[in-house]
Amino acid sequence: MKDELAKRLVQGLKDAGINFVTYLPETRLSQIVPLIRDDPEMELIAAASEQEAVTIAVGATLGGKQAAVYMENTGIYVSSYSLLVTGKQLGVPILLVVGYLGGVPDQRNSFLYATIGKHTIPVLEGLGIEYMLLNDGDGLEGKIKDAMRAANAQRAPYALLFAGEFSI
Amino acid sequence: MIRHECLELLAARMSDQLVITSQSGQRIEWSHLSKHEGNLLVGMMGCAIGVATGLALALPHRKVIVLDSDGSVLLSLFNLATLGNLRPKNLVVYVFDNGVYSGSRISYPTATAGNTDLTAMARAAGIANAHTIREIEDFKKKGIAALGQNELAFFVCKVEESLLHREIPRPNTDLAENKYTFVRYLERTEEKTVPFVGRG
Repeated sequence: MKDELAKRLVQGLKDAGINFVTYLPETRLSQIVPLIRDDPEMELIAAASEQEAVTIAVGATLGGKQAAVYMENTGIYVSSYSLLVTGKQLGVPILLVVGYLGGVPDQRNSFLYATIGKHTIPVLEGLGIEYMLLNDGDGLEGKIKDAMRAANAQRAPYALLFAGEFSI
Repeated sequence: MIRHECLELLAARMSDQLVITSQSGQRIEWSHLSKHEGNLLVGMMGCAIGVATGLALALPHRKVIVLDSDGSVLLSLFNLATLGNLRPKNLVVYVFDNGVYSGSRISYPTATAGNTDLTAMARAAGIANAHTIREIEDFKKKGIAALGQNELAFFVCKVEESLLHREIPRPNTDLAENKYTFVRYLERTEEKTVPFVGRG
């Protein structure tokens, strides 16, 4: 991802009200980590598992923050339990910022990632989590705002899947 | 030491603390002992410490308490490493370790009935203020005292298996109802709006 796109992504999160981010780093979107870390208006919390990243974000949201979880799409599989029992069952909106490895638009796709990518959307649909696929920066800031608004309205997690230009 | 007597001691000291429970016997016993609006009864295992950590970070001036079980902590051991590095000063974790999955109705032993020591694991993960409590007098001294201290505390309370939670009424508060009561309580006591509640 070009640095300019990373800056727009982080600014888009801020414009959507996100002020608390939990994460496990991955490759595709990793430029956003130092940008969030160095932003005094955002709190960045490292987790040891995506399952935990989700529960910490849920707790922060209940405490008044607007929280996002940054993860690789493998993290959707790891965190599916906590997404279901805290995000969905309890009904708490969090934004999932997902590096979408192994999907057709992934510019670094290979045999390492293809199986992981193939099952991401079916798993999200199985969990009842709505998602949006973003392949370029067109309307990026508005799409992030739309996603956060939908999450809040539904009291549920919402996933943004980043591939295409974001995976370069 | 019996879990219920520990919870009775804690319940008598509740004022504006936030109490997060995982799903197991202590959730049922605590909901019976305390009707406080600051209780959030998380409905499944392995999520209470994470939710409480998020609350403790979002509200650093507010004491947050976790009532957890050995089975639940074993399901989410990654929490220990994260707590050991974050060390939120306003968080107190009580793990009621009875060495069995008592909710299974066959009381199958957990790893702590064997060679696993959660206190040693917590310390090795970076939680310096981690202790094992075996006697109720020790719980009164160390466990209760932590409520007034400004330091992350992690107590593994070795309790006998008790089936009391199968005899007392289970909570009938819906999870969503519990969440909104909890959030409205926070809005009122923190004098701020929780954004996702929104307006109709």
